[in-house]
Amino acid sequence: MDPLTLSFAVINGLLLGGIYGGVALGLSLIFGVMRVINFAHGSFLMLAMYCSYLLWASLGVHPYVSILVTVPFLFGIGYAVQSVVISPLIRRERALVVEPTSALLLTAGVYLVVDNSVLMAFGPDVRSVTTDITYESIFVAGLPINIARLIGFAAAILVAFALSFWLKHSDMGRAIRATAQNRDAAAMSGINVPLIYNVTFGLGCAVLGLFGALLVPFFSITPTIGLSFGIKSFLVVVLGGIGSIPGSILGGLLLGVFESVAAQFVTATSAAIFSFGLFIVILLMRPAGLMGRA
Amino acid sequence: MRASFTLILGLPLFVAALILPFVVADSYVVHSAAMVLYFAYMASSWNFVCGYVGQVSLGHAAFSGIAGYASVLLFTGLGLSPWIGMILGGVLAAAISVPVGYATFRLKGPYFTLTSIAFAEIMRIWLENTDEFLGIPLKGAQGLTVPPVGGTSLLAFQFDGKLPYYFIILAMLVGVMAATHVMERSRLGFYLKAIRGNRDGAEALGIDPTRYCLTALALSAFLTGLGGAYYAQLFRYINPERNMGIDLSIDMAVMTIVGGQGTILGPTLGALVLHPVGEMVRATLGGHVLGLHLIIYGVVLMLAVLYFPKGIIAPLQRWLTPAPKTTVTVVTPKEVEGR
Repeated sequence: MDPLTLSFAVINGLLLGGIYGGVALGLSLIFGVMRVINFAHGSFLMLAMYCSYLLWASLGVHPYVSILVTVPFLFGIGYAVQSVVISPLIRRERALVVEPTSALLLTAGVYLVVDNSVLMAFGPDVRSVTTDITYESIFVAGLPINIARLIGFAAAILVAFALSFWLKHSDMGRAIRATAQNRDAAAMSGINVPLIYNVTFGLGCAVLGLFGALLVPFFSITPTIGLSFGIKSFLVVVLGGIGSIPGSILGGLLLGVFESVAAQFVTATSAAIFSFGLFIVILLMRPAGLMGRA
Repeated sequence: MRASFTLILGLPLFVAALILPFVVADSYVVHSAAMVLYFAYMASSWNFVCGYVGQVSLGHAAFSGIAGYASVLLFTGLGLSPWIGMILGGVLAAAISVPVGYATFRLKGPYFTLTSIAFAEIMRIWLENTDEFLGIPLKGAQGLTVPPVGGTSLLAFQFDGKLPYYFIILAMLVGVMAATHVMERSRLGFYLKAIRGNRDGAEALGIDPTRYCLTALALSAFLTGLGGAYYAQLFRYINPERNMGIDLSIDMAVMTIVGGQGTILGPTLGALVLHPVGEMVRATLGGHVLGLHLIIYGVVLMLAVLYFPKGIIAPLQRWLTPAPKTTVTVVTPKEVEGR
C-alpha cells in the first residue's frame, strides 16, 4: 500500500467520519436526555434525504437550499413522534422502573412504519442527485478533497460547537440538561418536562434534517439505508460515550477512518462486516465508550 | 390455572388446525396455513429465550440461516437426509449461539439487542459475499437450491403437494409448545423466572445467571435452526436475505411481543393474527404496494408496547378464565374492639 493511497483514504475517512459524528449527535442527545435509544434514527435521516431529493427533483432546489425545509420538517416529525408515540410510554413508566427495551421496541415500530412507507411511496430504486459540486474537489498538497464532503465535515464540527454552546448557555439548554440529570427535580423546579422531551427529540431529528441534505449531493438514496446509518450512529455514540457531544464527533472520525482504511484492503461490503465487528468488540470491552464514564 | 387456560384456548385451535386441510383442500390455503404455523413455530422458538430471559434478540434469523444452510449443504454435498441435516444444523446453531451468548449476555437491554443485530448482519453480509468457503459452495447472494429427487420421498424430505409439509410444521409447533411447557415447570424455568425477576437476587441465592441464560439460548437457537431447515425444504431454496435477514428476526419478535411473550400460546396467537393480515394485504393489493404489511406490523407493535405490554393473550386469558370471586369482609377497628 503506497502512502498516497493511504493518506487519501485517511482524509476521505476523516471527512465522512465527521458527517457520521454529526448524524450521531441527535441520537446521543436524545439518549442522554431521555434514555431512549431511537431505533428509527437512521430512518429519519433517510426521510430527510428523500425530502431533499424530492425538492431537487421536482422544483430544482439545490440540496443546500433545501436545508431551509428539511430542518424544520424533521424537527416537526421528531416533535410529533415524541409527543404522540413515545410520551405515553414515559408517562406510564413514571411509576415503574425505566424500561429501555420497551422504548427500543416502540421506536422499532416507528422504524418499520417510516422505512416501509418510503419504500411504498418511492419503490426500492436507488436515486441520486447530481449538483454542481458533486465532483468538485480542491487539492491540498496534491491530494484531492471532495468539496461536498468537506462542507459536511465542517458542518458537523460547527453544529457540535453550536449545540454544546446552546446547551450550556441558553435557558432551554439549561432546562434540557437539568431534565437529563433528574427528571423529577427538574419538574419540581418548574420545568415543563414533557415540552423539554418534545423539543429534545425534535432537535435530535432536526440535526438529521441538516445532514440528510448535506449527504444528498454525494450519497445515493435507497429506502433501506436508514438501518445501516442507525447502527453506525449507535456505534459512533457507543465509541464516543453516550450523551457526550465531542465524543460523538470523535467516535464518528474513528469509525470513518477505520471503514475507509479497511476498504483499501478488502471490498466495501466486507468493510461493513468489520464495522459491525468493531461495534461488538467496543461494546464488550468498554460499554461506557471512549469518553464516557460509568 | 395457566395450564387449563392453555388447554381451553389451545385445544380448539389444534383441532381446527388438524381438520383445516380436509375442509379447504385448496393448495394455496394449505400453503398459507403452513406459513402461519411456520411463523408460529419460529416465534415460539424465539420466545424460548426472549420471553423467559427477558432479553430481546433481533439476531435469531442467523440461527435459522446457519441450520438451513447446513442441512441443504449436507444434502447436496454428502447426500445426507435433510432430517439428519436438520438436527445437525440445529446443533451447529446451538454451538455457535453459546460463545456469542457468553460474550453478549453481559450487556443489558438495548445493548444486547443492538449487538444481536450486528452479529446477524455480519453473518448475512459475509454469506452474501462469499461464493466459496473452504471448498464449500455457498453461492453468495444467489442462494442454494435443493435438487428435486422426483416424487415423494420421506427420507429426502420431499413430498408432492403441500399436505405433508403442513402436518410436519404442525407437529413441530406442538413439539415446541410442549418443550416450552416442560421448560416452564422445570428447574431451568424457575431459575429463569428468578433471574428475570431479580438478577442480583437470583445470583445471591446461588443461581448462575450466565449458565441458565446460555442453556435457554442454546435451546432456542437449536429450535430456530430446525425451523430454518424446514423453511429451506418447503421452498427447496435458501438465500441469505430470506433465511437470515433482519426482517425474519423482526417478524419473530413482533409476533411474540404482540401475542404475549413468556407464554406458551402467545407467539402462536401473534402469528395467527399478524401473518394472515400481511398475507391478505399482499393478496389484495398485489406486489406493487411494497412493505404495506410491515407498516401494519409496525403500528401493531407500537400499540402492543403501549397498551398491551403483556400481549393480546392477557385480555383473552382474563376473559376465558375469570378469577374466582373472593369475598372480603371489612372489619372496622370498633368491631374488633367489640369482639
